Amino acid sequence: MSRSPNPPEAADPRQLRRIIAEDPHWLLSTVPSLSNLCLQSIVNRFEERPIWEDLSPVHKDFVQERLSTSMPLHVTANLIHDGVYWKRCCEKWGGIRDLTHYGNSWKRMFFEKHMENMIELFIPDVTEPKTFVEMVPLCKDYIKRLNISQLLPPVTEPQKEEEEYGSELVIENEDGPSMDHFDFNIMLDKLTNLEEFHVVYRVKQCGLNFQCKMFEMTHRDCESLAKAVKSCKTLKILRLNLSHMEDTKCRLLVKYLLDHPSLRELDLSHNLIGDKGARAIGKLLNRSSLETLNLCDNNIGGPGAKALAHALSMNSTLLSLNLRLNRLRDEGGQAIGKALLNNNTLLLLHLGANEVTWPSAIALSKVLVQRSTLKSLNLSCNNLGVDGGKALEEAMSNNSSLTECDIRLTEVEEQSASFVNQVVWTNQSLEQRRHARESKTKKTSTAVY
Amino acid sequence: MEDSDMDPEEAYEPSEMFENEEAKSGASTQEDEEDPDMKVDEEPYEIQHQEQILPQRVINLNRDLTTLVTNIQTAADAKESLRQAELEEARRLRLERLEKDLKSSQEIFEEITRGWSLSTQRAIPQELHEALNNQQQLCDGIIEDKKKLINDLQQELKVGDDRYVKDLRKHTEELDLMMERMEDQIKTLIKAYREELTQIERVYTQESEILLTKDKFEWDQHMKGLWEEELKRLTERTVKVEEYENIIHNLMIDTWRKHNIIQTKQHASFQVLERESKQLRIAKFTKAHTRHEIAESKFSLTNIKTRLSGMKKLMANLSDKYKSQRDEFTKKSRYLSEDYKRKIKQYECIQKQLKHFAVADGRKFEEMWLMIDAEVKQLVERALDIDSQICKQHLGVAWERPVMGFMELCGPIQPQRVPQLLHTGQDSQDSQRMMDPSVRKEIEAEGSAVQSESGAEEEEEKLPMETLKRVMELLCDKAGFLMEDTLLKLLIPLGKEEQTVVKLGSLLSYLGIEEKDIPKLAAFLLKYRHQQREQTEDVCDRSGESNNKAEEEETEPTTHLTSDLDPYDVVPALKSFLRQHMRSRESSARQHHSVYEAARDSSEDEAYWQSMGSVICEDQLRLWDTAEHKLRQYQGVLADISALVPETESLQQQNRELRMLLQQTLKVSTDLEM
Repeated sequence: MSRSPNPPEAADPRQLRRIIAEDPHWLLSTVPSLSNLCLQSIVNRFEERPIWEDLSPVHKDFVQERLSTSMPLHVTANLIHDGVYWKRCCEKWGGIRDLTHYGNSWKRMFFEKHMENMIELFIPDVTEPKTFVEMVPLCKDYIKRLNISQLLPPVTEPQKEEEEYGSELVIENEDGPSMDHFDFNIMLDKLTNLEEFHVVYRVKQCGLNFQCKMFEMTHRDCESLAKAVKSCKTLKILRLNLSHMEDTKCRLLVKYLLDHPSLRELDLSHNLIGDKGARAIGKLLNRSSLETLNLCDNNIGGPGAKALAHALSMNSTLLSLNLRLNRLRDEGGQAIGKALLNNNTLLLLHLGANEVTWPSAIALSKVLVQRSTLKSLNLSCNNLGVDGGKALEEAMSNNSSLTECDIRLTEVEEQSASFVNQVVWTNQSLEQRRHARESKTKKTSTAVY
Repeated sequence: MEDSDMDPEEAYEPSEMFENEEAKSGASTQEDEEDPDMKVDEEPYEIQHQEQILPQRVINLNRDLTTLVTNIQTAADAKESLRQAELEEARRLRLERLEKDLKSSQEIFEEITRGWSLSTQRAIPQELHEALNNQQQLCDGIIEDKKKLINDLQQELKVGDDRYVKDLRKHTEELDLMMERMEDQIKTLIKAYREELTQIERVYTQESEILLTKDKFEWDQHMKGLWEEELKRLTERTVKVEEYENIIHNLMIDTWRKHNIIQTKQHASFQVLERESKQLRIAKFTKAHTRHEIAESKFSLTNIKTRLSGMKKLMANLSDKYKSQRDEFTKKSRYLSEDYKRKIKQYECIQKQLKHFAVADGRKFEEMWLMIDAEVKQLVERALDIDSQICKQHLGVAWERPVMGFMELCGPIQPQRVPQLLHTGQDSQDSQRMMDPSVRKEIEAEGSAVQSESGAEEEEEKLPMETLKRVMELLCDKAGFLMEDTLLKLLIPLGKEEQTVVKLGSLLSYLGIEEKDIPKLAAFLLKYRHQQREQTEDVCDRSGESNNKAEEEETEPTTHLTSDLDPYDVVPALKSFLRQHMRSRESSARQHHSVYEAARDSSEDEAYWQSMGSVICEDQLRLWDTAEHKLRQYQGVLADISALVPETESLQQQNRELRMLLQQTLKVSTDLEM
C-alpha cells in the first residue's frame, strides 16, 4: 500500500516531490539493504510468484506489512497466516470490530466480514452465484460465524404488486419470478467450521422504496434455508429474527431441523409463530439437543403453550426457555407449571407479558416448592394479583434455589413482593458462597493436580 | 425508514432496532431488553462472584440500579402487552362491526333481490318505477353504509398511524432514558467500586500495618526473651566452664604428680635394665663382630680372587694384542726402511742425472753463447764499420774506435767476475747514484757484512758476553710489543734473567732469526748506532734531542759500549737488520745452489748485451739520423738532376741541330749574298 500499488497513476506526483510525507517508510538518508530490496521485489511480484513459506519470521513480518491488500484472495487466503496483513485488510474494509469476538484472529474477522458483505449485497438473478462457489473453498476454514443483517430481494418489476397479493393469499403459488432471496444452499454445507448463523430477512436503509415484502421470507426461502441449515452439520446456534415467519414456514423449518446433530440454540424471536408452529417446535424439543430456545414476541397462545409444556415434561436438555410477549394466558401458564414438576433441567423461564393470572402463579409456586432446579423466573407484566403474590411468597419461603425472580407490574402486594425479593437476595448470596467454595475447591484441586 | 435514524452507537444493541421494526410491522412488541438486562445482571453477578466479601451496600446499589433500568423495560413490556390487547380488542370490535354490517347489508341485499323478483311480477310501470326507486334507495343506503364503514376504518387507520408514530417517539424517548440510566448506573457503579476499592485497600493497609506492628512487637518481645535466656545460659555456662576447668586442672596436677613418680620409678628400673642389657649386648657384640669380620674377610678374598682372574684374563688379552701389534709394526718398519733405501737410490740417481743434465746444459749454453756472441760481434763490427764510413766519408770527421772491452771476451760471463765488473763499471756507478744515500750505506754495510761473513766469528769474539747480554735485554724491552700479552702475564712470576731468555726465544722465533745469528745482530746494532752518529754529524740539522744525545754520547764516549746503543733506534735498527739478514740469507742460499747452476745474473747478461747493443751511442745515432736525412735530401736533388739530364740532353741536341740549321742558313745566306 505504501509503495504505490499501481505505479502509473501514483508515480507521477510522487516523482515531482522530494519528500513524501505520506510514506512512513520513506527516508532520504538510508540506503535500503539488499534483503529489504529483495523482499520488496517479492512483495511487488507476489501475485505472479508468491514466495512465503521460505521466508524467515522477520521477513514474513516485513512482507505482511507491505503486501498490497488488493491482492486477489485466492493467492493470499491459504498462504498468509493470521497477522498484520489481515489487520490491514480489515482496516481497508473499514470499521474494525472487537477482535475478541473473533477469537483474536484478524483473518477470521476479515473473512467473516468479507462473506457477510458478499451475502448482504447479493442480488438474486443479478449477482453470479459462481463468485460464492469460488470464494467458499478459500474461506471455509476461517469462518465460524455469519451474521447477516440484510438480504436483498430480486429487482422488482412494476407489475409486481399482483404477484405480491398472490403470494400473500396463496402460499403454494410460487411460480414465476418470486421474491426469493439468496439461497444459502450453495455454500452453507461447505463452510465446515460454521457454528453460528444469524439471518434477518430484511432490507436496511430501504428509504421510500419500502414494501412489506422486503421484510418477509418467502416459502421457498424458508425451504432453502432449512435445507442449508440441515446440511451444515457443525452449526450450533441459529438465529432467525424479524423475518415474518408464520406457522407454515416454522413447520417447514422444524421439519428440516429435526435430529440436527449439533444445534444447541434456536432463536426465532420477533416472528409470527402461532400455536401450530409452537406445536412443531415442541416436537423439535425432543428430537434434538436444544439447550436454549427463544420464542419471544410471537403469537403463541394456550394450545401452543400446552404443546410446549408437554414437550418440556419429557425433555432433559433444555436449559433456557423464553416465551416473553406471547399470549399463553392461564391455560398455557398452568400447563407449563405442571410440566415443570416433571422437569429437572430447566434453569431459566421467562413468562413476562403473557396475560397470566393467579392460577398460573399458584402452579409455578408449587414447582418452586417441589423442585429446586429453576434458578430464574420472570413473571413481570402479568396480572397475578394478590393471591398470586401470596402463593409465591409462601413458595419462596420454602425455596432456596431461585436467584432471580421478577414480579414487577404484577399487581402483587408490596409486602409479598419485598419478601420474595429478600428471599431471592439471600439465595443469591448463598449461591455466591457456594460458587466461591466451588471455585476454591476447583483451584485447590487444580493446584493439587 | 425507521432504520435510517439508527445511530452506529446503538448498533451494538440489536434489540433496539428490533423494537422499531416490530412497532412498524404492527405485530406488537416493545423491546426485548433481555440483553441489557442480562448484561446488567451479569456484571454484578460476576463481580460478586469474584469478590466474595462484597459489602451489602454495593450489592444493594447494583440491585437498585439494575431494577431502575429494567423497570423501563418491564414497563415497556406491559405497555406492549396492553397495546396488543387493545389491538386485539379493536380487531375484535372491527370484526364484529364488519359482521354486523355484513348481516345488515345481506338483509338489505336480500330485500333488494326480493324487490327485483317483485318488480318482475309487477307490470304497472308506476309500480315498477316505485319499486325501482325503492330499490335505488336501498342500494344507496347500502352504499352509504359501506362508505361510512370505509370512512370509519380509514379514520381508525389514521388514528393507528398517529399512534404508531407516537409510540415510536415514546420508544425513542424510553431508549434514551434507558441509555442514560445505564450510563449513570455504570458511572455510579464505577464510582462505588472505586470507593470500595480504596476502602478495601485502606482497610487492608491498616490491617497489614496493625499486623505488622503487632508482629514486630511480638518479634521484639520474643527476641528479648530469647536474648535474656541466652545470656542466662551463657553465664551459667561460663560458671560451669570455670568449675570444670578447676576440676580439670586439679586432675591434671594429680595425674602429673603420679606420672612423675611413676616415671622416676620406671627410670630407675630402666637404668638397671639398660645396664644389664648393655653388658649382654657387649658380650653379644664381640661375638657378632668376630663372626662378621671373618665373613667379611672371606667375602673380600673371594672378591679379590675373582678380580684377579679377571685381571689375568685382561693381561693375557693385552699381551696378545701387544704381540700382534709388535709384529705388525716390525713388518711395517721393515717395509718402510726398504722403501726408504729405494727412495735414496732414486734420489741419487736423480742427482746423477741432474749433474749430467747440468753439465750438458752448461755446454750447450756455452756453445749457444759463443755462437750468438760471434754473431753479435760481427754485427757490432759491421755497425762500427758503417759508422766509420759515415764519419769518414760523409761527415769527414775522424772516427775513433770506441772502447770495447767486452769484445775480447769469449764464453759466458762468470759470476765471480761480474761484481767486480759492476763495481768498476760505469753502469754500476749510475745505479748507485740513483739510490738513496742511506740505502747506499746499507748496501755498503751489506756488502761489508757479506764480505765480513767469513770474519763473523772474529766479530763475535770481539763482543764480550756481557755486552751481548745487555743488548739482548734491551732488545727484549723494546721489542716487547711483538710478544703476546698472555705470554707476558705468564712470565711475570719468573726471575728477570729467565724472563729475558724466554722472551728472547719467543722474539727470535717471531722474527725468524736463528740462535747463531744473535751475535751478528748484536754487532749490527752496535754498528748501526755508529752509522747513525756519523749521519747526524754529517747532516748537522737534526732535532735538538738527537743533538743532545749526540752531545751526550760525545761527552761520554768512553762509557760502556752498550750505552752507545740508543733505545729509540733499536726498532729501526732491528728492521734494517732483518731486511739485510733476509737478503744475506737468500744470497747464501743462492751460493749453495750455484754448484749446479751457472749462477746467472740475468741483469748482468742484460748489461752485457746492452753494452753490445749500445756500441753506437745516442749521439752517434742522432748523427746517423741527420746524416740519413741529409743523404736523402741529397738523393732527392740527385734524382731531380737525373730527371733533368735527358731534357738537357734533348735541349742540347736541339741546340746543336738549330746551330746546324743556323750555320746552314748562314751559309746559304752568305752564299746567296754572295
